[in-house]
Amino acid sequence: MSSTEHLHRSRFRASFADPEQLLHAVKHLRTAGHRVLDTYTPFPVHGMDEAMGLRPSRLPRACLAFAVLGLALAAGLQIWTSAVDYPLITGGKPLLAIPAFIPVAFELTVLLAGLGVVASFFLVARMRPRLRIPDLHAGANDDRFILAAELAADIQFPAVAQELAGLGALDSGLLVEDRFQRRSAFWDRPAGVGALLLACLPAFLLLALVPVLNRDFQRRNLAWDGGMGAPLSAQAYDASGVLPSGKVLQAPPPDTLSRHGEPPLAFGPGKAEAERAGRELQNPYQPTQARFNRGKLVFERVCATCHGREGDNNGSVIVARGAFAPTVLVSPLVRDMPDGRLFHVATFGGPTKMKGYGDLLSREDRWQVVLYIRELQKAAKPAAAPAQATGAQP
Amino acid sequence: MSETFTVPARDLTKSGIPTLADIGERLRGGAWAFVVLGAGLLGLGLVLQAERGWGNLLLTAFNLACVGLGGLFLLAIQSITGARWSDPILKAHRAMPALLPVAGALMLLLAFGATTLYPWARPDAASHEALHGRLGWLNPPFFFGRVALIFMAWIWVGRRLTQQGKGAAPFILVFGLTFSLANFDWLMSLEPVWSSTILAIYGFSGMFLQGIAIVTISAIVLRRVGLLPAVSKAQNHDLGKLLFAFSCFWAYIFLSQFLLIWYANLPEETGPMRLLLQGRWMPLFYLNLVLNFGLPFVLLLGRKAKTSETVLLATCAILLAGRWLDLYLQIMPPVLHGLVPVFGVAELGGILLQLGLGHLACWPVFMKDANPAQELPQGG
Repeated sequence: MSSTEHLHRSRFRASFADPEQLLHAVKHLRTAGHRVLDTYTPFPVHGMDEAMGLRPSRLPRACLAFAVLGLALAAGLQIWTSAVDYPLITGGKPLLAIPAFIPVAFELTVLLAGLGVVASFFLVARMRPRLRIPDLHAGANDDRFILAAELAADIQFPAVAQELAGLGALDSGLLVEDRFQRRSAFWDRPAGVGALLLACLPAFLLLALVPVLNRDFQRRNLAWDGGMGAPLSAQAYDASGVLPSGKVLQAPPPDTLSRHGEPPLAFGPGKAEAERAGRELQNPYQPTQARFNRGKLVFERVCATCHGREGDNNGSVIVARGAFAPTVLVSPLVRDMPDGRLFHVATFGGPTKMKGYGDLLSREDRWQVVLYIRELQKAAKPAAAPAQATGAQP
Repeated sequence: MSETFTVPARDLTKSGIPTLADIGERLRGGAWAFVVLGAGLLGLGLVLQAERGWGNLLLTAFNLACVGLGGLFLLAIQSITGARWSDPILKAHRAMPALLPVAGALMLLLAFGATTLYPWARPDAASHEALHGRLGWLNPPFFFGRVALIFMAWIWVGRRLTQQGKGAAPFILVFGLTFSLANFDWLMSLEPVWSSTILAIYGFSGMFLQGIAIVTISAIVLRRVGLLPAVSKAQNHDLGKLLFAFSCFWAYIFLSQFLLIWYANLPEETGPMRLLLQGRWMPLFYLNLVLNFGLPFVLLLGRKAKTSETVLLATCAILLAGRWLDLYLQIMPPVLHGLVPVFGVAELGGILLQLGLGHLACWPVFMKDANPAQELPQGG
């Protein structure tokens, strides 16, 4: 003990070898009017809380507050992102899919409660890094059970020391006064902590510079998104140095079937096949107002550019160019063709210039166009009554 | 934590206090009345609507088995871990496995109602597409043979554990395998199309929670009448912590089962769960969550509440009601084929039977164990 330290007048300590003796001594001192400041034991001693007259800890309340905070944050984040800000249906579940939010809410509740209660404990107990705990007794970190207490007003220490020895104390003595008022090191004071953080700043700045400097200077890098517009993956219309066709886009393999559920058509292109189709195929659809409307729409968008809206070769391409004349659809020649023949032409193309539309129009649409052509032919009958010209047959 | 109880224990050494034999005699009369009344009501239920009658008998038998297993399991883990905190209440644990033979007998009674309960036991089972390839395992002789084997294993290992204090570790092993099998066999096969691989641990969580609740009630009541004099507030606090923890565990397992079924939405998994989320079953589905998790969580959150006998008794009563509802919601939807839930004579009969049999089977074992000659000073 150096000469600068002097003993406290009223605070003392005592050490025991046995937790029961310590418990007994604490009770004895408190009934005698002394104030027990704290006890230091290698493991929690049952009943010490009551013996010291400690109030129940307030930490559970902090724990509850942090748990509620975690729950609110997790629930709020998930509800906001999933149901309000970016409502995206996932797996056919409702936007506010509460069961799916529970695991994250549970984890965050536990996490914040755990971290928060530990942080609160350190804060309330005034524990921090580099804190110097005074050496109360050489055995305090070993196997001794130690108490620190303050004398009642009119009692001298030697009398108490004798009592303690009678209770089984191995040794006792007055505390050294200024142990708790040791001047803290620079790094332990707020200014020191600030200076430490400031010293770390260049490192943080360097870290932040990494993504900024890590760019390809060989390329003009003007776009902020740097690559989202020009992805690395192969694009459908790019040239390919690997594939035999020289293109990324590949034709489907032969005999590939449509996924739309239509069975393969048992006819090929050619005049003979067209005549066979005329003999064997029947229009599977009956004329209704809806089919008439659909057939009209398809005809006017696809066929009418050449054949004309009335089927009379008045199409815009023919009028502008005048290069060739397609078959007049309302002519007696086409009027006498069976439905299957017309369907074959719509699918595989005509004998001269017309291309087939089997790859562009669904089978149903082609049959509906055939229905519509029949209505055009009825409307175009020169001697027919004008009232029928609307062609709207049910 | 204060060490004093608001309701002091009776001092059995003083004169004028009814003797242990008196207490047992009085309670035994009531228990017999419960059993007779319960069996009568259950029989009436069987006549009125066979499905509900047999379903409630299955519920009664399964839950009584779970009570016995709950006591055994608590005993086993305390034996393995060398726990000392539970010494004052061990006698309550040791009495509970006495229910296993009773539950086994009731389970075997179900052989007469198998065709009503289980689709695989019906004559037309072979034509049931979902049962194709399962009838080798699910057929009445093999099924009830397994029931008998499982109960024999439980009774034998249980007797060794309670009487000689031996075989805790083998019991855990046997228990893990047989209890899983029991859940899949007895409960899941009610709806052969349905499958849930987590059902056994779900059954375990409810069974263990109920076991702790019954031990807690026993510890409190038996301390008050003076039969467990060594129980202190520390035991109450420990039991309160266990109740709180395993109520959360039950909710955790509940969600683990429900979340995946709800999310994947596969036809062979949704089964009875889909029914529970509709119509009149839906309120019961949510009530189940409230009784087994919501209320116990709120009631037991504080430290003081975990040591208060009043709060503990209330929570345990809620948990027992929740356990009954939990089993009801597992058994009845497939048995009733989608009809609305009913609480009538059959249900009341089943509950009375459980209470009565529980007392009649456990009390004599407990009395033999808690011989006052060994516990209390003579005279007074």
